[in-house]
Amino acid sequence: MALANLKTLSVPTNVLWANAPRNPAFLTGFILTALVFVAGFISIFWTPYDVSLVTISARLKPPSLAYVFGTDHFGRDILSMIMVGARNSITVAIVAVGIGLIIGVPLGCWAAARGGWKDAVLMRGNDVVFAFPALLSAVMITAIFGPGAVNAIIAIGIFNIPVFARVARAGALAIWPRDFILAARAAGKTQLQITVEHILPNIMHLLIVQATIQFSLGILAEAGLSYLGLGAQPPSPSWGRMLAEAQTMMTIGPHTALFPGLAIVISVLGLNLLGDGLRDVLDPRLNRAK
Amino acid sequence: MSLLSIRNLRLKFGEFTALDDVSFDVAAGEVVGVVGESGSGKTMTALAAIGLLPEGATASGEVNFEGANLLTKDEDALGALRGDDIGMVFQEPMTALNPVKTIGDQVAEGIIWHTKISKAEALDKAAQMLERVGLSPAQFPLDRYPHELSGGQRQRVVIAIACVLSPRLLIADEPTTALDVVLQAQILDLLRSLVKERGMGLLLISHDLAVVASMADKIVILQNGKVVEAGPAKQVLRNMREPYTRQLATASTYMPKRTPRAEGIPLLRASSVTRDYAFPRKSLFAKAGHFRAVDAVTLSINEGEMVALVGRSGCGKSTLARMILALDKPTSGTIELGDIDINKASGAELRAARRNMQIVFQDPYGSFNPRKTIEWLVSEPLHLLDLKPGREEARTLVQDVLQRVGLNETSLERYPHQFSGGQRQRIAIARALITKPKLIIADEPVSALDVSIRAQVLDVFAELNANLGLACLFITHDLHVARAITDRVLVMSHGRIVEEGSTSQVLDNPQSDAAKELVRAAPNLAKILIS
Repeated sequence: MALANLKTLSVPTNVLWANAPRNPAFLTGFILTALVFVAGFISIFWTPYDVSLVTISARLKPPSLAYVFGTDHFGRDILSMIMVGARNSITVAIVAVGIGLIIGVPLGCWAAARGGWKDAVLMRGNDVVFAFPALLSAVMITAIFGPGAVNAIIAIGIFNIPVFARVARAGALAIWPRDFILAARAAGKTQLQITVEHILPNIMHLLIVQATIQFSLGILAEAGLSYLGLGAQPPSPSWGRMLAEAQTMMTIGPHTALFPGLAIVISVLGLNLLGDGLRDVLDPRLNRAK
Repeated sequence: MSLLSIRNLRLKFGEFTALDDVSFDVAAGEVVGVVGESGSGKTMTALAAIGLLPEGATASGEVNFEGANLLTKDEDALGALRGDDIGMVFQEPMTALNPVKTIGDQVAEGIIWHTKISKAEALDKAAQMLERVGLSPAQFPLDRYPHELSGGQRQRVVIAIACVLSPRLLIADEPTTALDVVLQAQILDLLRSLVKERGMGLLLISHDLAVVASMADKIVILQNGKVVEAGPAKQVLRNMREPYTRQLATASTYMPKRTPRAEGIPLLRASSVTRDYAFPRKSLFAKAGHFRAVDAVTLSINEGEMVALVGRSGCGKSTLARMILALDKPTSGTIELGDIDINKASGAELRAARRNMQIVFQDPYGSFNPRKTIEWLVSEPLHLLDLKPGREEARTLVQDVLQRVGLNETSLERYPHQFSGGQRQRIAIARALITKPKLIIADEPVSALDVSIRAQVLDVFAELNANLGLACLFITHDLHVARAITDRVLVMSHGRIVEEGSTSQVLDNPQSDAAKELVRAAPNLAKILIS
C-alpha cells in the first residue's frame, strides 16, 4: 500500500509547531520546564533576598508574604535559594549534556560509518562505561578529585557520552543503507561529509529527545551529589544540599524540605514529559499509532 | 445472491472524496480485479470491503457481505468476520508478517482465535495449509521465522494465513507487486488454484492490467475514486470503450520512439568480476564460508548504448551495479570506464570516473534526503567537479537539468515530499544528469511508478539517449521495460551472465533456462487478450 509508505517518510521541521499544541504531554512538560528555566534566569539579576544573608531572628519562618517559601535554619530565604539553585542545576546539566553530545555523537557516528572491528571496539568500550552505575562512579570521581561543581559536571558528563554515542550510532545505522546515501557516495562525498550533511539532520530528532531526558537525569544526579555534599559547595545554594540540611529540620520546619523537593520533582517531571512529548511530536509515526 | 456487494460506496476524508459512488459485486468462486493508478481508491476499496477504514474516513452507501452491511457493524462483529470469513493478502510480505513469531504460530494464531481449538490442533492445521501453499513442513519447519524465508516464500505464508480458515472472500491488495516476475507467476497460480479449489471469491487489487487480465473474470477500472468502466474482464479490455481504459492499456505496453544510433566506442568494460560475501563464522577457528553474489561477470557497454540487465531478484544485479559505480569493491576482476580502472584509480581519477557515471534508484521516496531542498539535492553531484561552480552558476545548472527532464524552474526551494512519485523520479534523473555523465545506471527506475508516469519517464530516457548520446544500463526484472527502451539484453542468473544478445532476439527467442523462465512468466496483455 503506497499510502502507508508515503506517510512514514519525511518529517518536516514545521511538524513540531503543527503538532505541539495538540500534545498534552509536550505542553505540560514545556510549561514546567519553562517555569524552572525562567526562575533560574531571573536569579541572575534579582532574587527576593540575598542568598547568603543570614537573619537569625527570622529562622525557620513558615511561608508568609515576606518569605513566600519560608526561611531555613539560618533565616535565609528559601525562594531565593531555590531560584539560584535552579540556575546552578541547569548550568551543571547543560554542560554535562553538552559534554555527552560533543564527544558521544561524533563517536557514535564514527562507529556507524566505519563499522567492523572499529565499531565493535568502540561500542564494547561504551558498554564498559555503561556497566558502572553513573551516580556511584560520580561519587568515586568526586571522591578522588575533590568535591565541587566542576568535578560534578565532569563526572555526570562522562556518563552521558556512551548514551549519546549509542543513540547516534543506532540512528546512523538506520540511515546508512538508504538510497540517498548511495547517491551521495556516487557523488564522491566522503564519510565525514555524508555524516554532516545527511546523517546528522536525520538523527537530530533522536538526539534532541535524548538530550532532554539526559538533562533531567543530569539535574537529578547533581541534586544527588550535592545531597551527599559532593556537588556545589557552600555558600552556593543547591537543591540537593538544601534537602540534606532540611533533613534534621523535618519536624520543626517541614517547608524547608518541601520546596527544594518540589523543585526537583517539577524539573525532572517537566523535562521527562517534554522529552516524551517531543518524541511524539517529532515522529508522526508514533502519533498516528495512538 | 453475490458474496460481496458494494453499493454506492462513498468515502470522504474531510473535504477530500476518496471514493465516489463505487458499486460492484463479487460472487462466490469469482475473481474480480480492481485496476487503477495510485490515488484512484483501489486500496480504500479493499479496506472498505474488510471494514478496516482508516480513522477520519466517513463512509456512506453499503458494503454488503453475505447480505449484512459491514459499514454498520461494530468492531467486534467485524473482528469475527476478518480472517474467518474474509481473508486479506497484503502487498509487502516483509511487513505483513510479525518478525518475532514463527511462521507456524502466525498461521495458527487466527485458527486459535476464531475456532478456540487447542494449539496443537491449530499447528496441525497450519502445517497442512503451509504444505498446500508450497511450503512443506519437511523443508520449511513451522518454527522458521519470516527473515529465514525469501520474499516469495513469505508471500506464501501470508496467503496461508489468509486462507487457512477457508474464508469465503479473499482480498489481495497488490499481492505480487513486491515480487519478481517469476515469483509473481507462481503466486498468481497459487491464488488461482486456491480460488478454484475452495470456491472463494477473490477481490484482486492491482495497478497491472496484464496481471488482472490473466486472473480476473470481471474487471473494475477506477480513476480518482470513480468507476470508469466495469464488466467481464476480457470484453472490457478488448473493446476498450472508455478512453481511460485505452489510455491505461497503451501506457502499460508503451514503447518510446527511438532513433537507432551508430555503434559507439566501448565505454565500460568489466572483466571476470566476482564478489563474495563472507558468512559469519560458525566458530572461532572454522573457516568463514562465503556466498558468491556475482560470479565472473564480463560485460561491456558502448557509448550511447541502451543495455538491459534482467534477472530475478537476488541474482546479483544490484551488487554488480554497485561495483560498476565503485560503491563496492569486487573480490576479483577489473572494471574500466574509458581508460580508468576504477578500483586502482587515484582520488582525482575516481572523481573523473564518477562524473561520467551516475545512478537512478528504484524507490523515488528513499532516494532523497527528506530534509534537503531540491536545489541542494540535485546539485549534490557537482561536488565531483574539479572546479566547483558558484551558487548562482550551480543554480543555473540545476534549472537546466530540471528543464531537461520536463520539470519547471519554480520548484527549487521545495522539499522532496512535496513532489509526486513520478516527479521525484525525474528529479532523480536530473541529479544523475547534472555532471553530464556518459553512463547512467538505472536500478528498476520505473517499477515503482504508475503506468502512465512510467511511459513519461521512459520517454525521458529515450530522449536523453537520442539527444545527449547517453548510455544506460537498465537493471530490471520487467521485460516490458527492457523491450521498450534497450538495444541489448544481458540475462543474469545466480551471479552469472547466462545469455546476451539484441533485445528482440533474447526476448522473442530465449535460449538459456533463466531467460526462458523470465519470458514465460512475464504477463503479456496482448497475448492474454488473443487467447
